[in-house]
Amino acid sequence: MNIEFIDIVQALIDGILYGSTYALIGLGFTLIFGAMEKLNMAYAASSIGGAYVGLGVSVLLSLPLYAIFLIGPIGGGLLSVLVYICCFRYLPSNNHLAALMASIGGLFFIDEIISHETDGSPLDFPELGIFSEAYFEIEFSDMFLGFRGDLIFVMFASFLAMLMLMYLLYRTRLGLATRAVSQQPIAAQLCGISIHQTNSVTFILAGVLGGIAGCLAAASVGVISPLLVLPLTVKGLVVTVIGGLGSIRGAIIAGLLVGGLESVFLLLRGVNERDIYVFLLLFVFLVFRPNGFFGAEIDRD
Amino acid sequence: MDYYLGVFQTIGVHTLLGLSAYILLLTGQVSMAQIGFFAIGAYSSGVLTVIFSWNIYPALAFGALLASFFAFLVGFPALRVKGLMLVIATIAFSEIVRLITFNFVWMVEKDGIMVGAEGAQGFREIRYFTTNGWDSSQVVLLIWIFVAIVMAMLWWLDRVKAGAVLRAVGNDELAAQSSGINLTTVKVAAMTAGGFIAGLGGGLYAHAVSYVDHITFTILMATFAISYPILGGTKNVFGTLLAVIFIQGILIEAFRFLEDWRLIIFGLLIILVMNFMPDGLVSIFKKSNPGKGN
Repeated sequence: MNIEFIDIVQALIDGILYGSTYALIGLGFTLIFGAMEKLNMAYAASSIGGAYVGLGVSVLLSLPLYAIFLIGPIGGGLLSVLVYICCFRYLPSNNHLAALMASIGGLFFIDEIISHETDGSPLDFPELGIFSEAYFEIEFSDMFLGFRGDLIFVMFASFLAMLMLMYLLYRTRLGLATRAVSQQPIAAQLCGISIHQTNSVTFILAGVLGGIAGCLAAASVGVISPLLVLPLTVKGLVVTVIGGLGSIRGAIIAGLLVGGLESVFLLLRGVNERDIYVFLLLFVFLVFRPNGFFGAEIDRD
Repeated sequence: MDYYLGVFQTIGVHTLLGLSAYILLLTGQVSMAQIGFFAIGAYSSGVLTVIFSWNIYPALAFGALLASFFAFLVGFPALRVKGLMLVIATIAFSEIVRLITFNFVWMVEKDGIMVGAEGAQGFREIRYFTTNGWDSSQVVLLIWIFVAIVMAMLWWLDRVKAGAVLRAVGNDELAAQSSGINLTTVKVAAMTAGGFIAGLGGGLYAHAVSYVDHITFTILMATFAISYPILGGTKNVFGTLLAVIFIQGILIEAFRFLEDWRLIIFGLLIILVMNFMPDGLVSIFKKSNPGKGN
């Protein structure tokens, strides 16, 4: 196949638009890491789980299409706070690896429950109505670049979610408490902030973001499957590391970057090899820039 | 009878996998890369006996050495990234290896049929044992001889200075460093040894079941590998063996009638142990990051 420059640019555009879902997932990982300095390995599982809850409830109650995009994030938030209670709340706060293992247990628990309930087969996920049919073409010097309507919707919805998160974090008392706990847990406690309550809120926020990401990713692909969970987990972690653990803008930029590069790798090397290069990217960063784009100097286990 | 031999075979191979994670856990490192080393051992020794018609022993040795070489390479970035970052890096490594086996095609014609690795179809017909007249009890015996050797060596390791050095690093890196222990050397050595054991297990597994493919090497298996020494504790090597018997022998085999509920229970089990049984695990990790991250 003869790949021209315009094909690569087109792949990059599609990938960056889709990459906004990776940015959301990376954001969730980084939010939880920022609050607790712990990794929630069950995060992508609870995000996809949220999309399943949205789909299941909407189908059972025969609600209209957009209901999925309301119930999905709620489901994601609930699952996420459940993960907090089971895998973080009662574990020693200075033991990062115990919480990590517990959340890996949570990842398999959610993943296997989904596989069990759906017999492991993918389900059709409703597409984005008129957005799926829309297609824009823009002439740029002498190249024609296409923009898929559903991916533009995904991008807009993701950025809307991010803006809401930013508003919550930087303009409300709730966000102030969250940031206080992430910076100085003990000092925050002395000011009368309940750590567990704040952490629960952080998990709910991250879970809602994850639920949105899960719904958007499933809607733009058209199917939802438990097989999405592990790749999304690893890619979310890659995004988090590349952006810098705990950095919000880093997660957004890295998400778009990983989405774009993934799409280019797909074009150049095919679907079977694509993820190898995405994961190798992580090693490049670990060797040359272990703190990612914006990560603080990390000197902890 | 064959069924029980199969169970013994699985327990033996998983014990090797668990022991390879055990030696790393002694130094306080949680590695999800063991299944990647296992895959390297399985594929490389399979290629040697099937395509190059090697004898089983040098093929197993080569597979284990190749896996330990990769472990050595992974060990170096592991020094830059500790703890949580190491977990992410090793997950990515295992997934890279799995995807490479998914794409790995190396087929040659032997006696009129095509043999070798066939990408997503997996690596079939690794028939060294059947073509050389081994019966399954001999295969199980071979696996358990290796398990016994590895367990004996790790047991012995705990009784000499090297074992004390490993545990010193695991208990308190700073204290170990200040008593003149080179952290780099110790961690890379543990990683390399772990890679060797996992590679050996992979080679034995591939030949015992005569078929491997990328589904054998998922993150779930990496989680199994690390969960054995964590559930069994790092007091001594028998804890790992007991954990393997408990999970593979009882949970996976004896409760076969539970079907896919077994993996749900496995997930739940890890969560419960982390919450309620701190002695198996928490006491080890607490000491490894003293006074940090409160």
